[in-house]
Order: sequence, then C-alpha cells, then structure tokens
Amino acid sequence: MSDQPLLQLDSVSKFYGSITALSGVSTSVAAGEVTCVLGDNGAGKSTFIKILAGVHQQTEGTIRLAGEKVTFDSPRDALDSGIATVYQDLAMVPMMSVWRNFFLGSEPTKSIGPLKWIDTKEAKRIAKDEMAKMGIDIRDTEQPVGTLSGGERQSVAIARAGYFGAKVLILDEPTSALGVKQSGVVLKRIVEARNQGLAVIFITHNPRHAYPVGNRFLILNRGRSMGSFAKDEIDVNDLTRLMSGGAELEALEHELRDSGATS
Amino acid sequence: MNEHDSPDTATVTPTEAPSGEISTDAAVAASAAGGDERLAYRSVFQRLFVRPEVGGLIGAAGIWIFFWAASGTFGTVGQTFTWLDTAATLGIMAVAVSMLMIGGEFDLSSGAMTGAMGMLIIYLVKETGELGGLGFPMLLAIPLSLLVALGIGYLNGFMVERTGQPSFIITLGTFFALIGLKLGLSKRFVGQIQIGRTDEASDFDFFRPIFAAEWARNEHPFELRDLFYISIFAAGVIIVLLAICELWFQRAEERKSSGLIEFIVGLGLGIAAAIALHLTDGVGVNAAIAVVMAVAVFLGMHGWVSWRYEPIEDRGAVILDEKMRKFLGLGFGLVVLGAVIAVLIDSSSTHEFFFPFTTQGIRVILLLAFVTAGMALIAMASQAALSASPATKGAVTSVLALAVVVIAALTFIDSEAAKFRASLFSVLLFAAVVVFVWGFVVSRFVERRVKSASADHLGGRMLILGIVSIFVGLAFRMLFITEAELLAEVPPAKTSIRLFWFVAFTATMMWVLARTRFGSWTVAVGGNKEAARQVGVPAARTKTQLFMLVSVAAWFVGLLVAFRINSIQSNAGDGQEFFFIIAAVVGGTLLTGGYGTAFGGAIGACIMSMPLAGISAARWNTDWRFLIIGVILLLAVVSNKYLRNRAEAIRR
Repeated sequence: MSDQPLLQLDSVSKFYGSITALSGVSTSVAAGEVTCVLGDNGAGKSTFIKILAGVHQQTEGTIRLAGEKVTFDSPRDALDSGIATVYQDLAMVPMMSVWRNFFLGSEPTKSIGPLKWIDTKEAKRIAKDEMAKMGIDIRDTEQPVGTLSGGERQSVAIARAGYFGAKVLILDEPTSALGVKQSGVVLKRIVEARNQGLAVIFITHNPRHAYPVGNRFLILNRGRSMGSFAKDEIDVNDLTRLMSGGAELEALEHELRDSGATS
Repeated sequence: MNEHDSPDTATVTPTEAPSGEISTDAAVAASAAGGDERLAYRSVFQRLFVRPEVGGLIGAAGIWIFFWAASGTFGTVGQTFTWLDTAATLGIMAVAVSMLMIGGEFDLSSGAMTGAMGMLIIYLVKETGELGGLGFPMLLAIPLSLLVALGIGYLNGFMVERTGQPSFIITLGTFFALIGLKLGLSKRFVGQIQIGRTDEASDFDFFRPIFAAEWARNEHPFELRDLFYISIFAAGVIIVLLAICELWFQRAEERKSSGLIEFIVGLGLGIAAAIALHLTDGVGVNAAIAVVMAVAVFLGMHGWVSWRYEPIEDRGAVILDEKMRKFLGLGFGLVVLGAVIAVLIDSSSTHEFFFPFTTQGIRVILLLAFVTAGMALIAMASQAALSASPATKGAVTSVLALAVVVIAALTFIDSEAAKFRASLFSVLLFAAVVVFVWGFVVSRFVERRVKSASADHLGGRMLILGIVSIFVGLAFRMLFITEAELLAEVPPAKTSIRLFWFVAFTATMMWVLARTRFGSWTVAVGGNKEAARQVGVPAARTKTQLFMLVSVAAWFVGLLVAFRINSIQSNAGDGQEFFFIIAAVVGGTLLTGGYGTAFGGAIGACIMSMPLAGISAARWNTDWRFLIIGVILLLAVVSNKYLRNRAEAIRR
C-alpha cells in the first residue's frame, strides 16, 4: 500500500441551515485499498457520498486528492477528477443492452467526414473484455441490462467506472438490496477493483459485508464520526457496536439471546 | 465473541483470495458443465421474434390478406400505390414521432405543424397582390420555413425541459397556438382560410421533381418485366429457404458432395419447369409441370440439406401424445370446416348480408377465422412436437402441409368465381410442397442446438439477401407494365417520389437509432433519464433535438403536401398527431419510452393506411374505418405487451 493516501478528508462538515448532516469527518483511502463507510440509517452516509460526488459541497473541512486540495462543483467535475460514483439505483437503462449501457455517454465512434457512428464491434468487444477482467463472464453483451441479476448489474457499473479511468470508486450501498449469494458476487467485484489499483470507498450498513473487504473503516453515527480505524485495530463486532452508537445494541443482543434460551 | 458470527458470513467472504482464483458462481457452474449452461441457444428466429416491430409485421400481413381476400381490387398495383401514398406522408411523421416517443416524449402539435408548414411555404412563395403572399422564390422559402420549423421544435423542447412538465401538456399548448396562428394569420394576411398556390413560385418547376415527381406505370412498358420479376422473386424465395436451412440445421463434419449434385439437379429441374410453364399452355401440361416442380423442390431442398448438414442416426417412432393428437385433429378439422363453409356460401352473391358487411365480407371473415384458428392449433402441436422424436416432428409438419393443400383446393374450386385469384392456387400448392419437404428433412437431419457464429452470419446474410430480392422483384412488378397488360387495358397506377422519401427517411432513422450516439442517447433518455444524465448523456439537449426532428419531419411533409395539392386549408393536418402516435404504438414503440424502432413506425403507418383503401376496395361504408383503426390499436397494444413479455422470457 502506498504511503500517500489518494483521497484524504480532513474534518469535513456539512450543515443544512441549522441541521448538522455531517460534522468533523476525517478519513483517507489509498490506491489499492478499500475504505468502508459504515453507518445506520440517517448516519450521514448519503451526505458523505454527495460531497465526494460533487452533488453538494462541504461547509467546512478540506478534501485532498493526491495531496492537492480540491472542491467538486458538479458531478461532472468529480468524474473528471477520476472519482466515479456507483449509486444504489445504478445509473443503468434497463431496456438497453449491456454494451450500450457500458458505454452510455462515452461511446467509441468511427467517422467518415461529418458522418459519425458508434463502433459497435469494438464497443461490444471492449465491454466483454472489461467485464471478463472483473471476472464476470457475460452471456451476451446484447442482452438488456434489465435481465441481469442485481449483482451482475452492480458489476457492470463497477467495470464501467474502472474502464473510464476512475481512480476512486465510490459504491453506495451496493449490497443492500441483494441476497447473500449476489452480495458475495459484488464483494468479489470490489476486491477485483481494489486489486486493479483503484481506491474504493464502500458505503454500507452491513459490517459483515464491510469487514472482509475493507482496509479501513469509517464509522458514522448521527452525522458524527465514531472514528476511522485500520483493519487490525478493530473486529467485526466492534464495528457493529460502534455503528449502533455504543452499548445499546449489545444490551439488546444479550436480552434477545436470553429470551431465546428460555423459550 | 465469535458466536455472533452468522453461518452465512462464510459464504460472503471470499475476499482475500488472489484475483486469479476468483470467479463468479456461474462461471464455476459453467466450467463444471463443460460449457456455459446459461447460454441457451437462441436461434435467429427467436431473436427475430423479440424485435419490437414483429407484432406489427404480422399484423400488417394479416390485414393485407384480409382485404386482399375480401375485395376484388385490393391487391392490384393501383390500389397498392394508393395506400402506400397515404402511408408515405403518415409514415415520415410516424417514424419521427416514434423516435420522439422512444425518447420518452409526445408531440401533440406535430399534426397541426404539417399544415402550418405547408401554409407558411405557400405564403412565402405566393405572388404579392390582393390575396397576397411574399413572392419569394422556393430557394429562399424552403430554408426559411425550415428555420421556422426548427424554431418551433426547439421551443417545444425548451419549454418541456425548462418547466419539467409533461410534454403532453406543453405540446397541447403548442397545438392550439398553431391552430390559432394558422387561422388568424391566414385571415389577416391572405383574407381567407385557404391559401394557394404553390406554383406561383418563380422556381416551382425546378423543385417540383424533388418533392412531387410522379411515376405513371402505364407509361413505362417493359417487355422483359415478367422475366426479371419472376427470376428475382423466385431467387429470393429460394435463398430465404436455404437461409432457413442454414440457420436451422447442424453442419456436418464432412460435406457430402452427392447432396450438392442433387441440389444442382433440383435447381436445374425447377428452372426448366418454370421455362416450360412459360412456353406451354393447357391444364394437362400444367399438372405435369406441377409434378416436376414438386420433384424439383424435393431434390433441391433435400440435396442442399444432405450436402451440408449432419444426418440423424435414430429417427425414433412417430409418437403423438394426447395433446398433440387433440391439437392436430381439431386444427385440421377447423381448416376443413372453414373451407367447406366458404364453398357453401354463395360466392357470387353481392347483396348485403349483415350490416356493414356483404355476404362476401362475412364469408371471408368466417373462412379466415376458422383457418387462422386451425393453423394456430397445428402450430401449437408443432410447438409441442419440438421435444418429441424427429419422426414425430416430420409427421406433425405433414399435417400442416395437408392443411395447406385443403386451402389450395378451396381456392381452386373458388377461382372460377374470381373471388380468390387462380394464381393463389399455385402459390399455396407450392407452399404445401415446401412444407411437406421441410417435414421430411426435419425428421432426418440434426437441428442445431449450439451457437455457431459462422452459420448465424452466413444464414443471416442470406436471409437479408433473399428478402431484399423478393422486394426488388415485387418493385419490378409494380413499377413496370408489359405490352400484354397494356393491351388488356389495366387501369393506370401512379406513384410519387413520396414513397422514395418515406423509405429513405425510415432507413436513415433506423441507422441513426442503431448506430449513432444520438440514437443510443434517445433510447437512454426515454428508458431512464436520470441514469442517462448521471453517466454524462446530455439529456435535455437530446430531447430538444428529438422535438426538432419531429418538426423538421412536419416541415418536410408540409412541403410534400404543398407541392402535391397546390393549396392548403388552414385546418390541414389538425388531429393527425393521433394517427402518428397510433402508428408508432402499433409498430411496437412503448408509450412510456425507451423501447421501439423506427421501422416499427413505418410498419404502423402502412397498417393505418391499408384499412382505408381496403374498405373502399371492398365497397364497404368508409365510415367504419375508425372502428377498424380503434380495434387495430387495441389489438396491437395487447399483442405487443404479450410479445414483449415473451421477448424478456427468451432473453433471460
């Protein structure tokens, strides 16, 4: 792992009027690493993503990309800086084919004079190859994305982000709507992306998904950072406890376990 | 604390393994099965059937057959040009509106805009004077009016994008604004609600051939027409048949050259028989030649198949299970019943039987209904036979051939009443022979179950070549006349350059949709606008361009109309927008956007145009056309939904 983090956040805060959505969050992610952002509903995960994706700007604090201080004014701005965000709703057109979705907005073209058309052969080949690099064996790049499973769709989105030169990949709850098996597929993709040298920010509310893939863990609770830990500093149960805001859940768990034992 | 770990954690933690060892579950399963089990082979036919316009094509064929059978003149060249001419202007708009609808928007002002553009052009070129215009030359009026059209399209798009309101409401506003402008301005500047004349333009004669050139068939005798027509058409049919074989069967490891020889002999025999048919006359000779033809079809098809494809070792026995027996028996019975009813009803009676239909109409409806139902049942039986033994497949296909023979016999009995054309008899008999031979080869050669890129490629190309040849042959038949026809005083038939523009525009839009970024973005903004925007598609710009495309099409249609009829009423085109939308939907375009084709819009326009010509050809009351169009729309919506669901199921 490199010494210098690719993306570094330093006490980033966001206020909406009098409401504090995010306060004093610091963390970092290096190339070839996965930083997991964990938090329950309303913990400030969405605000966190939106700041990094350029949808909103932070009120306080600094973001450094490769050591340089940056602010993203628009999603396009963030994208151009190499920060690709894969949203929960996937940014896919379900009735379009896999390869068209893969290249949507950046189709490779051929031209004769003013006539310009999509190089479909090349596009299909690249889409298939890139997916194969991610370990996804796509049946037929002509099939509509809507017929893929949730995990496969996430995989297409991740492969696309990687191909179009993303350095930092932000994944918004990629496993939340998926079953156990499909989640596994997506987690594999995350590891693939990491192994290809991308810096990955993986947002989730499931510590059991986060712990196996993450190198670093940022825990949010009600807009506050509960700390940013390296993997060897923390285990999966600590993660759960911190997410829920301390001892409450542990107490609940004991209670549940006891009632389970008596019945 | 490890007791908290749930058992499923293990299954979702593959992660520290090096990348090389990671593979998806599916890939593991695939390698275990020795092939990708998910890649169920979809034949070219299955892939054809998932296209959105297929429902429209089948509907078009059905409507054509219906009116062809129900009237004496619908199939003639003159009638065909009549409905194609309507389809051309409707179709140019329908294709543009299809594009806009694929992009997820409507344009209710498109109908009024065609009239408005026509009026504008005429006003620009009309001589100054009491009922004055501006007296511009066309050279100036054409680009000026184009600019206005682009402006209106831009305005539509701008307002829809800026307000975020449904385009239905915005363009409803534009629609009324245009109607008001047309009426108000024409009264104000010309003093009446009709405006003419286009030919007052100083350079009218220069532009006339571009927008209104006409081709009168009866002025173009071509002695060799039938030779060209029949040979190109027949070649097309043969190539299509061979293409189907190529796509259907498994290629053999080694080709059998004896098959090739058999194929060539069959082909030669067929050509010789066709020449003999041309040179001779008389029923007895014709029957003999028909037998030779049948032999030629058998040798040709069987030879081709045994040359290239893998024979079946074990054909199995003919086993018809109960379902198949039921379907076959009922299906064949219905076909026979339909034929018997058709024979029993007096085919020469012309009196009204049941309003609005004549005896003829009701006869055709009964015949078509019974035959269609019967054929559908037989088709279901062959669907059921797909997984049965090869011999069973052959037997089921033979029943289909027999059913075709029954209908052929009916047309033979009927041909004296001239209700069905005598030529249909030979066509049906030929079809029956082909189906029979098909059943024979299907029971003897291995069907392809795996993907083969080269066979798909070759077969696909052959299919396209064959279909193009068939259409070129038909075009020859329609555009030229023989001396014999001239002597027999065939009624004149005229077509105009509109048809060319229609075909050219449709082809261009098909290409745009399939091959360009703009086309891809159109589908994307219609399918999921937010998603498209997130990945950098300029959604607002794409939609605005689509509105502009529609208004340019309206401008072009206005131009065609202005050149054709020379003067335009201010209400011209109003209300047409619904026909454009219906044509697009009938052609398989989804009302909510994101799905559809330009070709579908063109097919939809043909479907909309046929009933009008057909009803008058059948001498029914033309007021009924709206009922027919309404029913067509409802049927199309239902069947398109069904086809789309099927398409999704196949793709999965």
